[in-house]
Amino acid sequence: MARNALFGRYWEADSIIHNLDPRTKLVGVIFWMVITFSAANFPALGVVVVATLALCFLARVPLGQAFRSIAPLSFIIVLTALFNLFWVQGGAVLAQWGFIQISEEGVRMAIFISIRLTVLLLAGSMLTLTTTTLDITEAFERLLAPLARIGVPAHEFAMILGIALRFLPQFAEELQTIRIAQLARGAKLATSPTKSGIAGLTSLLVPLFASAFRHADTLASAMDARCYHGAQGRTRLLPLAFTRNDAIAAAALVALLAVVLLISHIL
Amino acid sequence: MSAIEFNNASFTYDGKTNAFEDISLTVREGEFLCVLGGNGSGKSTLAKHINALLAPDSGTVYILGRDSADPANTYYIRSNAGMVFQNPDDQIVASVIENDVAFGPENLGVPTEELRERVTAALKQVGLQGFETRETTSLSGGQKQRVAVAGVLAMEPSILVFDEASAMLDPRGRAGLMRVCRELNEAGLTIILITHFMEEAALADRIVVLENGHIALMGTPDEVLTQFDVLERLSLEVPFAVSMSHELRKRGVPVKMHVDAASLEDEIASLLAGGDAR
Amino acid sequence: MITFDGVSFTYEAAQRSRRKRRSRGGEPQPADWGRLPDDLWALADLSFTLEDGELFGIAGHTGSGKSTLIQLANGLLQPTYGTVTANGHNLADKHAAAEARRDVGVVFQYPERQLFAATVFDDVAFGPRNLGLSADEVEARVREGLAMVHLDVDKIGQRNPFALSGGQQRRVAFAGVLAMRPSTLILDEPAAGLDPQARKSFLNLVVELHRKQGLTVVIVSHNMDDLAELCDRILVLNNGHMHALGTPEEVFADEPGLRAIGLGVPQAVSLANNLAKRGYSLPLGTGLPTLDSLAHAIAARCQHNIAE
Repeated sequence: MARNALFGRYWEADSIIHNLDPRTKLVGVIFWMVITFSAANFPALGVVVVATLALCFLARVPLGQAFRSIAPLSFIIVLTALFNLFWVQGGAVLAQWGFIQISEEGVRMAIFISIRLTVLLLAGSMLTLTTTTLDITEAFERLLAPLARIGVPAHEFAMILGIALRFLPQFAEELQTIRIAQLARGAKLATSPTKSGIAGLTSLLVPLFASAFRHADTLASAMDARCYHGAQGRTRLLPLAFTRNDAIAAAALVALLAVVLLISHIL
Repeated sequence: MSAIEFNNASFTYDGKTNAFEDISLTVREGEFLCVLGGNGSGKSTLAKHINALLAPDSGTVYILGRDSADPANTYYIRSNAGMVFQNPDDQIVASVIENDVAFGPENLGVPTEELRERVTAALKQVGLQGFETRETTSLSGGQKQRVAVAGVLAMEPSILVFDEASAMLDPRGRAGLMRVCRELNEAGLTIILITHFMEEAALADRIVVLENGHIALMGTPDEVLTQFDVLERLSLEVPFAVSMSHELRKRGVPVKMHVDAASLEDEIASLLAGGDAR
Repeated sequence: MITFDGVSFTYEAAQRSRRKRRSRGGEPQPADWGRLPDDLWALADLSFTLEDGELFGIAGHTGSGKSTLIQLANGLLQPTYGTVTANGHNLADKHAAAEARRDVGVVFQYPERQLFAATVFDDVAFGPRNLGLSADEVEARVREGLAMVHLDVDKIGQRNPFALSGGQQRRVAFAGVLAMRPSTLILDEPAAGLDPQARKSFLNLVVELHRKQGLTVVIVSHNMDDLAELCDRILVLNNGHMHALGTPEEVFADEPGLRAIGLGVPQAVSLANNLAKRGYSLPLGTGLPTLDSLAHAIAARCQHNIAE
């Protein structure tokens, strides 16, 4: 549950996007950000919006589902829009209260930024909606692998990330059990800065940490018992492999960037 | 060659008190050995020696003929003597079942094509075929323990150690795990079962009872579990059939000491039939 | 006295109705009952009354609805349909629920995992302090709570709870619940994970509190031998439905029915039933057969045979 809330629910489907190599998707999302930020005017942004909707369609993710997955972050969009609305000035003044005024340019900017952020978040959610957390960690490790040669512990980072993701739902469940038990003892769990509020919070966090340490201790033994000794000589059940579709996706991304740049700066 | 050999082995955590002392024990290949004992009797420490997670301070431990104190043997021993721990949530590494099962053989560097075969075979052995892509958090406690067993089996061990692996399961989960345990033993694996459930101990070929790091009793279930007074003294649970046999004998009914409820029932039935049946 | 009247509960509907209420502003209609697949109901149409002063057992597998029932009984959850009342007050009322939370003490499975304070004293004092009691009163409650579990506050009050043995940790956690002075105690698998000796002494402690302090006690357990020995009445749950409710004799009279849902009967009962099936019905008198009564009856019959 908590994992879903934090990282967006994986949407089970068999689509071209689902079957892309996770590395392509991880780099692709970063590239999509670049493209979105390259769109300097409304026509260019329009192209990106269409492309994002097309991506959604290709991924076979219902649009409603995609928007639901970014809903928790919508406050960012609203805040940024409001900031631009009041801050950016230019063109005709549309409304004025004392020293606060809204101008034509402010409205334009607010709309532009909102669309841009929405598109960004949608593209980001496409990664988590079409890729399992395991694949993301794997891609992360492989992309960092070249850095391992200069001493960056890429494998260890990915291992830590993987184990964290594995234990997240479990800790959420344990926290719930602890919460119920302390509530039954009359705990005040509101995060008020009163003495009993702090005691209440401690009554949740200490058992949770104690449990985390207990888990960690045995988990280390269990990993030792299964011959874990770092990345050296390790093989993979699901090796990553680029396919023709990954090349097509890469080409499509470059083409999209070119179009957006063209519309932004030349037309 | 014996599967496991302890020769006058002693181990201490703090340098003062011994977790176990001067243990000599030989387990033959394919044997089903049960280790009983109260808390602090040294049974979990003993288990960790079989997997080379610990090595004795004095004396020797040989696993499949290899000295566990020699670091060169560590991975050989760990891959051939698998271990299942008490808490199912502490030993599952990955979020998806197939990845967790593959974790051990991946560490051993088994080639990818063979990994897939091993995962499929191991899940089948524990009765979880078709569960490959399910999330580990969606399973019951008993199923999680069977995933843990599959994760060990995928390393193709010849010895399997269950360190109180059923202690946190409900009766249904426990029964499922024990069924798997018996099937694996029938398939030829050496099983070391550490438990305090007597109905599980009754299934073993041989039982070792530990008390304060020493072997207090050793023998077949019939020899060990029928020692009513010793079990009481060590505050171990006495199986129902043993208590019943004991109560009947106290009342002058000439039954043998039974471990198994069904055989006790047969003998009582024949006694009740009395003269007219004979 | 806690009464469940036609209680159904689903975690699914709690979410669904919230969504529905937001969009349409209406309460969920009882007509929804049954539209959900059966397995989504954590509890279905459960009615029973927990009488004052009884020792009540609940048996059932993991996932049979036991933990949902516990949370409904002390007002931590609200039923989807039906009502839960404590001493005549409907727990749908906030004040009644808060009162029930104080009055019904719950010892959850592995309660020692909820220990958190730096000293045993502070951990046991957590509940009384939450009640807003004075320092003197809190100390009296801690002393009393620890004494009830046979621990001495002067000896271990200032010790770190995490440094105690497993059995002692469980007693400290138990004391923390008793310090709230509940009139009803619910214990979820109180002996889980303890070795046979610690297990026996912990269960004896519970029975002693029931007898001496007159506490109403509910024990949730898989162990039929324990339930048969300790309880006045037993409720058997299966997939959220009531499978049986009655005295141990009534409940364990139906061995095939219990076996069918994957539960068993006490071992002495099983042996007596098997012997009866083979044509040896023994004069066991009233009550469930126990180890003693069965051994006695078998011995008497054998002696009778020999005498003939």
